[in-house]
Amino acid sequence: MRARASAAFGLAVPAIATAACSGPQSALDPHGVEAQAVATLFWWMTLAGALIWCAVIGALVYAGRRRRRVFSARAAGRIVLWAGAVTPSVLLLILLGYGLALMPDLRPASALTANDRLHVEVVGEQFWWRVIYHRPDGPPVVSANEVRLPVGTRVAFSLKSADVIHAFWIPQLGGKMDMIPGRTNRFSLQATRAGTFRGPCTEFCGPSHALMAFAAVAMDEEAFAGWLEREAGPAVRTEGPGLDAFLANGCGACHTIRGTPADGTIGPDLTHLGARKTLAAGALPNTEAAIARFVAAPEAVKPGARMPAFGMLPEREIAAIAAYLAGLE
Amino acid sequence: MKVRINWKRAAIALAVLPVAALFVAWLGFFNVGAASGHWKITEWFLHFAMRSAVRTYALPIAPPDGPPPVGVRPAAGHYAAGCAMCHGAPGAPRGATVRAMLPAPPALTAAALADWSDAELFRIVKHGLRFTGMPAWPAQARDDEVWAMVAFLRRLPELAPRDYRSLAYGEAPPDSAGDVANRFEGALAGCARCHGRDGTGGGETVPVIAGQRPAYLAASLAAYAEGRRASGIMQLAAGQADAALFDRLARHYAGQSAPAAPPTDAAPELIERGRAIARRGIPERDVPACLGCHGRPERNPVYPGLDGQRPDYLANQLRLFAAGVRGGTPYSHLMTAFADELTVRERAALAAYFASRPAR
Repeated sequence: MRARASAAFGLAVPAIATAACSGPQSALDPHGVEAQAVATLFWWMTLAGALIWCAVIGALVYAGRRRRRVFSARAAGRIVLWAGAVTPSVLLLILLGYGLALMPDLRPASALTANDRLHVEVVGEQFWWRVIYHRPDGPPVVSANEVRLPVGTRVAFSLKSADVIHAFWIPQLGGKMDMIPGRTNRFSLQATRAGTFRGPCTEFCGPSHALMAFAAVAMDEEAFAGWLEREAGPAVRTEGPGLDAFLANGCGACHTIRGTPADGTIGPDLTHLGARKTLAAGALPNTEAAIARFVAAPEAVKPGARMPAFGMLPEREIAAIAAYLAGLE
Repeated sequence: MKVRINWKRAAIALAVLPVAALFVAWLGFFNVGAASGHWKITEWFLHFAMRSAVRTYALPIAPPDGPPPVGVRPAAGHYAAGCAMCHGAPGAPRGATVRAMLPAPPALTAAALADWSDAELFRIVKHGLRFTGMPAWPAQARDDEVWAMVAFLRRLPELAPRDYRSLAYGEAPPDSAGDVANRFEGALAGCARCHGRDGTGGGETVPVIAGQRPAYLAASLAAYAEGRRASGIMQLAAGQADAALFDRLARHYAGQSAPAAPPTDAAPELIERGRAIARRGIPERDVPACLGCHGRPERNPVYPGLDGQRPDYLANQLRLFAAGVRGGTPYSHLMTAFADELTVRERAALAAYFASRPAR
């Protein structure tokens, strides 16, 4: 029994350890300057730690098994001085110096004041993300639950909260930083490779904290410019039975669909909902069926969600609304 | 023979006593007939206990502050429908049957009412009286209606029969709700006692229902009849009406034209504040724009129109939503979701704004 348990443990540990090495939320698979720097620091720390551990265990084995004679008081004093004080201090100073040297790149002050480049404002709300792209050449572009940024450009972020403390982290690009009500926290990110990542809320913020995430997409400069242009535009469909039902039932009092009379600002902007990677801030796949499910019973999908349930609508109206929203690419 | 009382015997006696009591009750010799009435001492004791209980339970009840309760007219209509048959009314004294009840419900004369404080009357009207046949108010959440009834009771003794009839029945003749050959006309006459045949009557707390969408009116009638929307007055009225007639009644009132809103005496700043909330909501407190649901001509027909509605009615409904006791159609939870975010002044501002808009 015990042998089996330890065998299972022996299998489980490497499995768990390596599971975190890849995937859309792994800090060990960096796609950004900050994440790369932190990953490098992590590997150096791991390597140094492993070497020190081996040296300590080696000395222990040597002292217990091999060496039978007692050190003289002078020799023991020298060992304590060099191995116990000087070497660890030097190693720690080197690592500290390396860590400090990384910091300017992790929180570059220059990116925080630059007004001439893209600046992304992200507001944490229970339990979703309001994302506003401030462009140097045009009005802000409002979106939600998805952060896109161009590869190779440093992007400034200002992080806010509308209710409680949330935290913003894209493990594969960088972070994390708290979003605190009444404050604006600033930092910046620079993606080095294109990809789609997951950013979870990393500060407990209520019953659906674990269901509050966003998709982060790093795109080539040109693709990003095209995407932002499309995202800034109005909805692709501004009529039809789905929109009629959406407006007639008052969804527009909380949600905006640009190009239609729906101009509410309480909930997420839905202008291009169909083009997003996930639904309900990472809680559901972005499909028509999932939209219908969320509209009918948000509380069942995300406990504590502020949106009231619309399950009392006739099923065909919910279906029409879901089909319309899914088509908003 | 000398019986000695000790702990053991006392315990046995205590254990046997309930069984003995049950046995005596089962024998059925105790006379529950009303023909002989109570003994004098029983009557005195029951009355003493009732008065004491009402006095004690009324202690924490404080009459509402501010202006005197509005809504005396619907209270009068409710009195005629639910109370007058036992307590009598000006020009319509209690019948012989009622006077033979045990206990006999009192005629609500000035002398009878002077015995009770406002808080005590509130207690009796809201909670009823056990063993007397006096029922509780049908909607325990509607203290505002109970206070309106207390206010009406204070006026009742002074009312001349004609004034009482016009207060309780409006233009409709008193007997029209009862035995009219046409069932629809009878039900409509019941509505018309407060709302008028044109859907504009009833006083400050009664909504203008003329020109409202039929789907909303029918759904609200059903909500009252099924107890999903709290109102002692409307639950009684809708519960007495034939549910099969709700659609026709709703269509009748939907077909009436709403009157022009009376000139408002609300402060312009108040109306302006209401307009701002109605148009943009209060996003930082998650209060959506009212007009997003209520302002669209092609809205869901179960969403009521608010333009030209009476301000007292609107403010009262917002208060009930905020307290979480409003209920209503299957859509009413949409209002409950945020109504408690509105302050009293904001509710008044919204009521003033919608009251100032011409009805459509």
